[in-house]
Amino acid sequence: MTRTFDHTNTIWCAGCGHFGVRNTLVSALRDLEVPPHETMVLAGIGCSGTIQNNVEAYGYHALHGRVLPAALGVALTNPHLTIIAAGGDGDGYAIGAGHLVHTFKRNPAMVYLLMNNAVYGLTKGQDSPTAAPSHEAAEQGMDGISLGLALPGTTFLARAFTGAPEQMDRLMRAALIHSQQGRGFAFLEILSPCVTYNDTYADWAGRVVDLEADDRYDRFDRAKAFGRVHEVSEGGGIPTGLVFEGDGTDMAARIMVKGTVAPAHQPTDVDAHLDGYRDLMAEYAV
Amino acid sequence: MSKPKTIIDLTAMVAGQGGDGSLTVISILTELLARRGYHLFTSRNVASRIKGGLAAATMRGSVARRGCLGDSFDLLVAFDQEAIDLNGHLVADDGVVIYDASDGPLDRTSLAEAVKVIEVPFGRYAVRDLRRDLFKNSLSFGVISRLLGIAQDEAQDCLTHALRRLPPRLLEPNVRAFRFGLDFADEVGLGLGQGPWCVDRVAREEQLLINGNDALAFGFMAAGGRFYAGYPITPATEILEFLQKHLPARGGIALQAEDELAAVNMAIGAAMTGTRAMTGSSSPGYSLMQEGIVHAGSAEIPLVIVDSQRSGPSTGMPTKPEQSDLDMMVFGGNGEFPRIVLAPGGPKDCFDLAVTATNLAQRLQCPVIIALDQAVAQDARTIPYFDLEAVEAEPGVRLDAAGLSKMAAYGRYQITDSGVSPWAVPGTPGGMNLITGNERNEWGLVSTKPDVRQAMAEKRMRKIAALGDDLPLGQRFGDDGAEVGILGIGMQTGVMDEAVARLQVSGIAVAGLQPRTLWPVPQETLAFIAKRRRVVVVEHNVEGQLRRLLMGAGANGDRLGSVRKYNGTPFGPSELVAALLSDPAFADNVAEMGIVA
Ligand SMILES: Cc1ncc(C[n+]2csc(CCOP(=O)(O)OP(=O)(O)O)c2C)c(N)n1
Ligand code: SF4
Ligand SMILES: [Mg+2]
Repeated sequence: MTRTFDHTNTIWCAGCGHFGVRNTLVSALRDLEVPPHETMVLAGIGCSGTIQNNVEAYGYHALHGRVLPAALGVALTNPHLTIIAAGGDGDGYAIGAGHLVHTFKRNPAMVYLLMNNAVYGLTKGQDSPTAAPSHEAAEQGMDGISLGLALPGTTFLARAFTGAPEQMDRLMRAALIHSQQGRGFAFLEILSPCVTYNDTYADWAGRVVDLEADDRYDRFDRAKAFGRVHEVSEGGGIPTGLVFEGDGTDMAARIMVKGTVAPAHQPTDVDAHLDGYRDLMAEYAV
Repeated sequence: MSKPKTIIDLTAMVAGQGGDGSLTVISILTELLARRGYHLFTSRNVASRIKGGLAAATMRGSVARRGCLGDSFDLLVAFDQEAIDLNGHLVADDGVVIYDASDGPLDRTSLAEAVKVIEVPFGRYAVRDLRRDLFKNSLSFGVISRLLGIAQDEAQDCLTHALRRLPPRLLEPNVRAFRFGLDFADEVGLGLGQGPWCVDRVAREEQLLINGNDALAFGFMAAGGRFYAGYPITPATEILEFLQKHLPARGGIALQAEDELAAVNMAIGAAMTGTRAMTGSSSPGYSLMQEGIVHAGSAEIPLVIVDSQRSGPSTGMPTKPEQSDLDMMVFGGNGEFPRIVLAPGGPKDCFDLAVTATNLAQRLQCPVIIALDQAVAQDARTIPYFDLEAVEAEPGVRLDAAGLSKMAAYGRYQITDSGVSPWAVPGTPGGMNLITGNERNEWGLVSTKPDVRQAMAEKRMRKIAALGDDLPLGQRFGDDGAEVGILGIGMQTGVMDEAVARLQVSGIAVAGLQPRTLWPVPQETLAFIAKRRRVVVVEHNVEGQLRRLLMGAGANGDRLGSVRKYNGTPFGPSELVAALLSDPAFADNVAEMGIVA
């Protein structure tokens, strides 16, 4: 066996929520028997943006905020891969927020793990878009799930908490399966506390509300989901669980002619399309 | 009436209110001259100065192959007074103006004395059930066909061919309008053979009439390019549109991104799967892409990036050509990384260099930038058919499962002599690796150790050194033995060619060079300069960026003259000749050779 990079060394502070995210991802990939060479983990910049170094898979460290467009480029050109994009709340809700909106619209087959610690960990403790607003704060909070609910193309919106590992494990698997089945973009925000700059374990543990714990909750009803999320948030709770699931088809399947070989596996030699190129050239003839 | 003159070189403009499609005269005239075997050059907006949407289309048809418009317009079709006010001074002394006199007679202040004006009262003719702009074009073409002494059958055939995509119910009235034009010509004494000109019939092989953007996109596709992402911007949009139209049927994808940051990062993602990927924009969009371009340089991702330069700074003049992003393309971005900048001078170069760029990116695993300018991007001209059979797609240094199994260990950033590391793309069994823009060790794991950093920085830069002079050579004009020279890229190419030829005719030997590789500055370019007493650098920017780039690469600045323009219009051939002769050292050296200009 060819030796490849050592994926066991983490850089995180002891107790950081990101460990839980990583461990859950690794076990879900293993249990779902996704071969490492057919898995690609793409991460943004931040403490969260080192998770790709700790999974046995192909890994990519994107620019700050640009993990989603890069992951889209991968997803469209090689849909055979299992793609996991990951990053922090600064990465996904601040500098990269625009891309999140458009990825929701496009519904590409991938999992996006947004590791939310309500702080900028790597740059040592500045406020992030999800930082708890005080009453004198200049900005109000940001909620990726409500944002996703507001856009008609979304198909999978969920929130987990590293303090609730069983739920996180279940949602991680559901997200991977959603994307593997070609249903599209599985958005999984994981509340992943930063013990060093914003230790929210106790606070969040007291506020999370698993929407699915209520038998009557209908995760396929977008309007009701929105109502419930609003209600829970207004009451000071943090809605978790698989908040919304909708029908959809992965973007690659929508835009590629059925049965065509993926761009990454197309022949590159000119002979493969010579006649077509000649015909096209003839359109310019004078 | 004097005998008609055979016109072997005709420059024409159609100007009026209205967008694309209304200036159809140019395409019909183009069809006519193409059938007669003339070479063609067309340009859309040389004079599309703003205000109420005044648009102009221009063309040159000539027996000799030309890469620019002529010095003045032999024919101007003006659909309103504003078109005359803005362009009248550009009409040749013996030129002809066709004017829409529906709103009253022409104020000819801006026209030379001898210019012949034909005032057509378009309003007199019925325009029911047709598009008025098209109708005017067809009627004008009737008049033009008489000016050029073309028989009705031939002219009508060109008209119906050029308008073949129109539904029959629109085509028929246009043919009628064309005949109104003939009737009107008869009325004003322009019967067949009574016009000032006649058109030659020359033999030339069938060719392509194509602009730089389309040719570039075509070349990328032919070289196996299968992913493009862009965001609409003039004058780069045609690349996106071409690829959106033609890539899907060939198993590729062209995507309109939400912005340029997304576009460049999507292309980076696609490139990581081993797909040949490109992104493109124009100046302000390219400046947004720089973070991504630097990242591709650091992370060693093969990527082609196009900058269809327009006039800056900031949003500048979107439809006007400039070459003021040279510094940005060559030096822009943070840190240092290997990059190549290629500079096509016309559609043929665009095709060829797109192939080269796509291959170089794979071979070196770094960004390769293609520098266009609005003129190169959007002007079309006749060129020989692309040599498709000659296109080869270089695979680059890839690893498959078999190759990997022979290695004890594999990391993405293995230090090599060439600086290029073997690459296993995702999906390759056993090849799991890490790609990052941070400094890293051979595994791709972030590292700031001094020796690792130094080795990695040097490894990346070795890619360029290892390449040596294996980069596209420039195009030469004129007399290579001449003591004086002229040097320019992109939109200067066609004009330089013609200026050099004209000087040659008046006994002044000049050597011309259009470098096709801008960065790294090739030995060829420096040798061209070192060999002469004076080389004038021609460019479209304020600061003389190309000249500065050459000096930075070691060219002797004392020998380098500078001719610059930055008003949004290209040089014309005589304008360039005059500019060259006004360079004192150029003129001195010409005089010393015993030739007086
Ligand atoms: C363009 C750019 N701007 C700023 C930074 C600096 N920076 C690095 S990580 C980071 C924020 C990280 O916060 P978050 O995304 O929440 O991740 P966390 O560290 O909390 O996991 C910032 C601002 C950068 N790397 N690139
Ligand atoms: S700083 Fe915070 S987010 Fe970063 S590793 Fe430490 S605990 Fe985790
Ligand atoms: Mg954070």
